[in-house]
Amino acid sequence: MELFDTATVLTRVLTSGVVMSIEKSDRELPGLERLLTKKTRRSKAVLLNSRTGAIHAALAGQGIGHGDSVALAEPDAETAAFLAWLGVTVTSYDGPVAYDYIALDPANADRLGELVAGATAPALVVDLSGLGFGPAAAVLTDDPRLWARAERLKIFGAYDLRTMWTQEEADADLVPGVQFNYRLSPLVAACVRMALTQAAQTQAAQTQAAQHRPAATSGATQS
Amino acid sequence: MITDFPNSPLPLPNPADLDDELAALGGGEIIPKALRRTLFPVITKEDVFNLMLAQRQAPEKVVADFAEAYRAYVGAGYALPTASGTSSLHMALVGAGVRPGDEVIVPAFTFIATAQAVVAAHAIPVFVDVDPVTYCMDPAAAAAAITERTRALMPVHVHGLPADVPALRALADRHGIALVEDASHAHSAKIGDRVAGSFGDAAGQSLMADKNFPLGGEGGIAFFAEEESYERAVAYLSEHGIDYGMSWVAAAFGSSQLKRLPYYDEIRARNAALLGEALHETGLFTPPHVPDGHVHAYNMYRITLHPEAVGLDDLPVYAVKEAAHELLVAEGVPAREWQNTPIPCHLPFQHRDGFGNGYPFSLNPGAVRDHRPQDFPVTLGMLDSTLVLCRELRSPVEYERILRYADAFRKVARRPDAIRKLVEERDYVRPYEKAARLG
Repeated sequence: MELFDTATVLTRVLTSGVVMSIEKSDRELPGLERLLTKKTRRSKAVLLNSRTGAIHAALAGQGIGHGDSVALAEPDAETAAFLAWLGVTVTSYDGPVAYDYIALDPANADRLGELVAGATAPALVVDLSGLGFGPAAAVLTDDPRLWARAERLKIFGAYDLRTMWTQEEADADLVPGVQFNYRLSPLVAACVRMALTQAAQTQAAQTQAAQHRPAATSGATQS
Repeated sequence: MITDFPNSPLPLPNPADLDDELAALGGGEIIPKALRRTLFPVITKEDVFNLMLAQRQAPEKVVADFAEAYRAYVGAGYALPTASGTSSLHMALVGAGVRPGDEVIVPAFTFIATAQAVVAAHAIPVFVDVDPVTYCMDPAAAAAAITERTRALMPVHVHGLPADVPALRALADRHGIALVEDASHAHSAKIGDRVAGSFGDAAGQSLMADKNFPLGGEGGIAFFAEEESYERAVAYLSEHGIDYGMSWVAAAFGSSQLKRLPYYDEIRARNAALLGEALHETGLFTPPHVPDGHVHAYNMYRITLHPEAVGLDDLPVYAVKEAAHELLVAEGVPAREWQNTPIPCHLPFQHRDGFGNGYPFSLNPGAVRDHRPQDFPVTLGMLDSTLVLCRELRSPVEYERILRYADAFRKVARRPDAIRKLVEERDYVRPYEKAARLG
């Protein structure tokens, strides 16, 4: 993202006066959630403040916890260490995986839809840290229970901290265990959303230009 | 900037308003509905400008510069910036030497993050009651809970009042265990000249945007007295592949806000003092107690009710509180309960699933208790008899607004008859008998 664009986004959010993730009037986090669900064609999004927070949420969302084992594509050393810290054992590197994973950066952000096209796991972890605004990630899913569990892991909520939940509202089957604050800042969310939007616009412009470009041979002939 | 000042400034209070009928009974409101909104945090053009400048620096430098500036302000030895208050508390515990299966003594009255950070460190929270005057960890209760597996005391400077650090320090030293502060409410709070966050072997502090010292959304910081503790925390993150990194966006906002923190501290202290004087006059209400030599940061302002002072001592104190609460809210004062049940009675500590399959509670079953609210009588008594103001004292709460809050308490305290009538009409229950609430 250009410095000017980042400046514009940061100024817009700051002048709104809403920089807190549990503020009812925050529009930035829901905005990024909508964009990610649209791009990935998943119905639910959980925004988190780190890649490891998202991995944790993807697993906890499926009820996978300490002492359990999962199938995963062979994790890198850092991820393997984190899974060990969670107490989760990777037992096979083939078969249906617990989560699919992609990391976005400025070079591939325009291809989010394409990158996730083959993802089939119940949870999709998208690492947004590479876009340059600090640790940020998301879990995308079509499973409402996975989403609910991941939200509870993230915000100390048996229901929803944005409304200062009461436990009466909790689904009795969704017992909260350990809870973290994995919440993402609305300021960071706004910048990430702008980066993803611009990447998509760039891709669209390139596609349009390619469609209207004269055949390469005609130029060569004229020269 | 639209966020520098309230859109609709309040006029100064009119003394005649105090003689009006209570708003709940059809009279005029001390603060009309259209003028009730308070903004927080304060965001100025300087904050915007500083974020613009931060874009031109390396992200790591923006975060490191923020951490160093705030470490110096607090006077701690070492600082580790993190993504949240919870992660900072986790790192403080790890740095202080807490290991899986260890017991950490925490107060039953706090935000749930204190105890969840202990679980994050794969350790076991052991809950104790609070002091009846300060509402911070009771050193005698903590002493009674120490076992051979206790690794740390974790007092909370709750609402911004430093805990009894001298007594807790002596207790920790006597048993060779660590003192780890939860300073999440206590930005700029002091005992003598020392600032909260620098008292213990380690400390964690939330810097989320609803705290007295807000970052741009979410953030936290862990402090350590010794380099060895800091290095232990850093190595733990690396060894376990955990990303608790702070965003440069949040850090840049924090660096900008830090410059104005002492000014905001003064406004909060002024507002607290002004309201405190008014409450003392009422008889029914008293402000938070502040021991000599302590500086309260007033992230929250817990007001105690004394029904006997206005002839209501034949009624249950919780019912008097509920009725007064209803009347205050009708006048435009956004008082609240902020917690209604001891933390060990919340679902995560009743079920104790932890990271899954009962871990880490399964490491030390002897430390685990099935708690009932009645196990913490001081906490229950406090929940029965107190109300809380949160943002209502913080800048940019203007002078006119704090005067009106004071008037609202005066107006309600003058009407024990209305309180009695409400108690007779309503079916109030004790706070812990309602669904557990965090806020």
